Amino acid sequence: MKEKLEEIKTKGLEKIKNVKTIAELEEVRKELTGKKSELSEVLKSMKDLSVEEKKTIGMMATEIKNTFLSNLQQKDEEIIASMSVLDEPIDLTIPGKKVSGGALHPITQMKHDLNDAFLSLGFEVFNEDDISSEKYAFDNLNFAKNHPARQSMDTYWLEGTEDKEGAERLCLRPHLTGGSVRYLLKHGAPARFVYPGEVYRNETTDARHERAFFQYEALIVDKDISFSSGMVMIQTILEKVFGRKIKTRMREGFFPFTEPGYEIDMECLVCGGKGCKVCNHNGWIEVMPGGVIHPNVLKSAGLDPEEWTGFYINIGLDRLVMMRYGVDDVRLFHSGDLRFLKQFK
Amino acid sequence: MKISLNLIRKYVDLPEGLTDEQIAYDMTLRTVEVEDVENTAKKFHDIVVGEILEIKEHPNADKLRICMVDIGEEEPVQIVCGGSNLYVGEHVVVSKPGAEVVWHGQGEPVKITKTKMRGKSSYGMICASTEVYLSDFFPNEGEEEIVDLKGFDCKPGDSVADLFGMNDTVLEIDNKSLSNRPDLWGHYGIARELAAIYDAPLKELPKYEIPKVPEYSVEIKDTTKCNRYAAVEIDGIYEKTSPMWMQSLLSKVGQRPINAIVDITNYVMMAVGQPLHAFDKTHVSGEKIIVRNAKENEKLLLLDNNFIELSTDDLVICDESDAMALAGIKGGKKDSILPDTKGVVLEVANFSADSVRQTDKKFAEKTEASMRFEKGVDTQRVDEGLNLALRLIKEIFPDSKIIKYADVYPNETKKNEIKVSEEFLDTRLGKKIPQEKIEQILTALGYEISLNNGEYDVIVPTWRSTGDVTIKDDVMGDIARILSFDSFEANPITITFEHSVKQNDVLLERRIKEYLAYRCGFYEIFTYPWIEEKYIKSAGIDMEKCVKLATPPAPDLAYLRSSLIPAMLEAVAKNLRYYDEFRLFDCEEVYEKGDYRPSSEDEILPIQKNYLTGCIVGKDAKEIFYEAKGVIENMAEYCHMEELKLEKLDRPTWADVNAYLNVVKDNEVIGTLGLVSVKVMADTKIKRTNVAMFEINTDKFVPYASRTNEYERLPELPLVEKDLSIIVDEEVTWKQIEENIKAKVKEIEFVDEYRGNQIPEGKKSVTLKVKILNEGTTMTSEQINEKMNSILKTLDKRCGAKLRD
Repeated sequence: MKEKLEEIKTKGLEKIKNVKTIAELEEVRKELTGKKSELSEVLKSMKDLSVEEKKTIGMMATEIKNTFLSNLQQKDEEIIASMSVLDEPIDLTIPGKKVSGGALHPITQMKHDLNDAFLSLGFEVFNEDDISSEKYAFDNLNFAKNHPARQSMDTYWLEGTEDKEGAERLCLRPHLTGGSVRYLLKHGAPARFVYPGEVYRNETTDARHERAFFQYEALIVDKDISFSSGMVMIQTILEKVFGRKIKTRMREGFFPFTEPGYEIDMECLVCGGKGCKVCNHNGWIEVMPGGVIHPNVLKSAGLDPEEWTGFYINIGLDRLVMMRYGVDDVRLFHSGDLRFLKQFK
Repeated sequence: MKISLNLIRKYVDLPEGLTDEQIAYDMTLRTVEVEDVENTAKKFHDIVVGEILEIKEHPNADKLRICMVDIGEEEPVQIVCGGSNLYVGEHVVVSKPGAEVVWHGQGEPVKITKTKMRGKSSYGMICASTEVYLSDFFPNEGEEEIVDLKGFDCKPGDSVADLFGMNDTVLEIDNKSLSNRPDLWGHYGIARELAAIYDAPLKELPKYEIPKVPEYSVEIKDTTKCNRYAAVEIDGIYEKTSPMWMQSLLSKVGQRPINAIVDITNYVMMAVGQPLHAFDKTHVSGEKIIVRNAKENEKLLLLDNNFIELSTDDLVICDESDAMALAGIKGGKKDSILPDTKGVVLEVANFSADSVRQTDKKFAEKTEASMRFEKGVDTQRVDEGLNLALRLIKEIFPDSKIIKYADVYPNETKKNEIKVSEEFLDTRLGKKIPQEKIEQILTALGYEISLNNGEYDVIVPTWRSTGDVTIKDDVMGDIARILSFDSFEANPITITFEHSVKQNDVLLERRIKEYLAYRCGFYEIFTYPWIEEKYIKSAGIDMEKCVKLATPPAPDLAYLRSSLIPAMLEAVAKNLRYYDEFRLFDCEEVYEKGDYRPSSEDEILPIQKNYLTGCIVGKDAKEIFYEAKGVIENMAEYCHMEELKLEKLDRPTWADVNAYLNVVKDNEVIGTLGLVSVKVMADTKIKRTNVAMFEINTDKFVPYASRTNEYERLPELPLVEKDLSIIVDEEVTWKQIEENIKAKVKEIEFVDEYRGNQIPEGKKSVTLKVKILNEGTTMTSEQINEKMNSILKTLDKRCGAKLRD
């Protein structure tokens, strides 16, 4: 009988060892420890044995059962630990599900980036309307009476007003600068504000020229400040946009509404300033004109130029976005083409 | 404009060791943008003078010759050439292997190599003028002729660049950056800037003593347009070529040499910026020059034998019978210098900028002269032009003689006088600039300056007094730029914390855009303000109210948008080529005739509103309609603004006959929502899909000042959720169902609606989900059944609803 028990034990443990699945394990559990198991049979046949023998065999049988139980438990844990929730193979190289969602236009993204940067410097945002008048777009800004920009070859005048003058001659604004006087008339000085928007010029279009394009202008008006404060502003903005310090230079420029005026160039990011096709081989890209607000403009805004001064910078948003992403055709911004827009997350 | 540094160096002693690139850079930072720096000798490398020693027939080609040419090397070289004017002893231009030439004067330069032509080896090439950048100097060269250097003082091996004065650097300056600086339209003006930049001495221009001669007869009839007119009659002038140094300079700055007298006038203009004109003296009838406005129907005969029609506000230069030239712009045929010319009348005059600009604009062709006059040239420059021209004439025509002279001078350019305080300069420049430095800069630029009690009395030179420098800020600007803006340290901007910037409307605009893009899956587009007429018509927009452009980008783009819908339709149609399903939005201004005065009472603008238009494109019309409806319904909550309502009031012109709603805020219709109608889709070529669209006037949105989420305590007892499918008549709306049982439940939610199998005609099945709750206790199943029965009973009574089994 002892031999029989030993055999049951050996065979049982072997079975447990070979089990692969939980279902199999259950089968084996029944087979080894259930009511109809060999072990039960052995115990049932014990009635003919002596008390002494019953005790010994009984203890042996219990011990074997316990061994089975602990081995089964162990096997159970083993199988669970190695089990997958999948009942079939998985190809890990199949791409994950697309995150669906739209996007803001790259120009708007840039505008928001700039708004954040300027907000941190205490600037307000001002929105001027698209349609303005000669008075606000030119007269107030110290443009000479015969300045070529006033011609219909340059500016989109509204039908029926094109032969009038000043406040009665209406146009799609050719630049944002007119908005500066509108803001100052309303809010007075000191002031610091940005006024992003779209501007319109009567031009022949190609990959680098558009009739409708985006600008971002900033203006500070205060007492006793110098144009050299403008440089801090420019550095801050470029750093925000490109994520690192960008080399800039400030050079002479002329605009009717500034004195002095300057052009701000940044190092060409395509060649790193060494000179390439993009920067016309001189290593610099013109990004923003700016300058000290002309006394005549302050006068138009009802401010005394003896008391107040300030400076502009004007950022060509299209150019900046093109620089940021290497976009090679400015007309794509107005194309409404999803093949283009889907590239900007 | 092109600037020759060789000529600049005649006027100013630039510091030793400056590279041309450095000069260009310094000028770009301080004066005008230099767009290009060209070493003019570079393209002439390996191009030398050769002498033909021997000419043989080519055995394999009729037109080719085999020449032995001395090019200054140890042995003569063999060159095969097809030139028609070859002769032994001829001095020619030889491009050695390695040189770059333009084959037959066309296309990009090509590198010359040792080669064989029809079996005979050829060491380089004997060139025609167009092939080696010399066409300016050989205008009469025939076809198949090569350059014949007869008359040139040269020997084999000489550099051709040297021979034609090409060892120079030319700076190309953007004309636009010169538009406010009439003084820089000549080399001397640029030299003055460089003198100021480098603190280098500027040399004086030459003087010329005009002998006592009888007065030439000049009459200025309109002295508002002609400020000064000097005329010099000179004998002993005939047609000949100008010296090589002058031709060379003109060629380098982009002026084709013509003949000595014309070249002198052009040279003087390039040197000092004063336009001049020479009339053949015998062509001036009556020996009198009259400066007057053109007569009605008067014509001017041009060199090309065409006439231009003049009008009475065009200023012309006339003799006693005809108009000879358009004042300050160009001459006519009558005055031209011809082979039989024996003397000239030289005009050195000053015309008003306005007059020249006006006439110039009309004939739409700017000339070198008109470009200068229309910027405003000072009258004193007549003296500089006259002196230099007369010196050059005496040099080139030693036998010439001044016969008569006149200088009629009604208006003199006055020097502006400006007071600039030291304090003003210190604050605006942001640092104290020493007095000596200020005086040095301004004096070098031609200002006269003296300091009295902390205030500079500044007298502006005439060449800056024609509109350029008028106020103290201009003077400050001159100081800042010559020091270079880059030399100023950046001064910090101070921020005061009086109040934070809080612009709720600006924030709302951004929230809405981000809601649409990042939460609802829309892509933002921008469209042009001008709309193709067919899209406006398709959308059924009232064109009477639209604002129009006087000179539109194209004839059918004259109307400006009063709605963003037409442009959106166009965008949908275009994108359907590549995508079946997509969502777009456009957030921009629209315009409409009306009365809007944003800034001052005198300015009446059209009404301008900010609109938001969006579309959802997809096959299932109902699906996309409800998606679009959801976008609007949830907007207020997600964007933190005052509530919007949707009601069916007026059908938008572009919308489906049934599927549309209006967006209402405070009882005012502020927008529309709907499916695009079958008709509009057909008109705009939108095929095999459906479009749901909305348009809202976002000016009517009222942002909350802060986030406005409402917190509710979490329920202590679980909500019981039950689905319910009922059958109702088609006419019964969801709203009716909802309204009737709202009071009985905690929450109610639409699940779906169904028509078809098992549902009788005229009926529909509606499935809804309700959430119920008993205050205070957990519901028993009896209580739940009781509640559901009560709900059903109400639905039956009010809406005729039956439970669907």
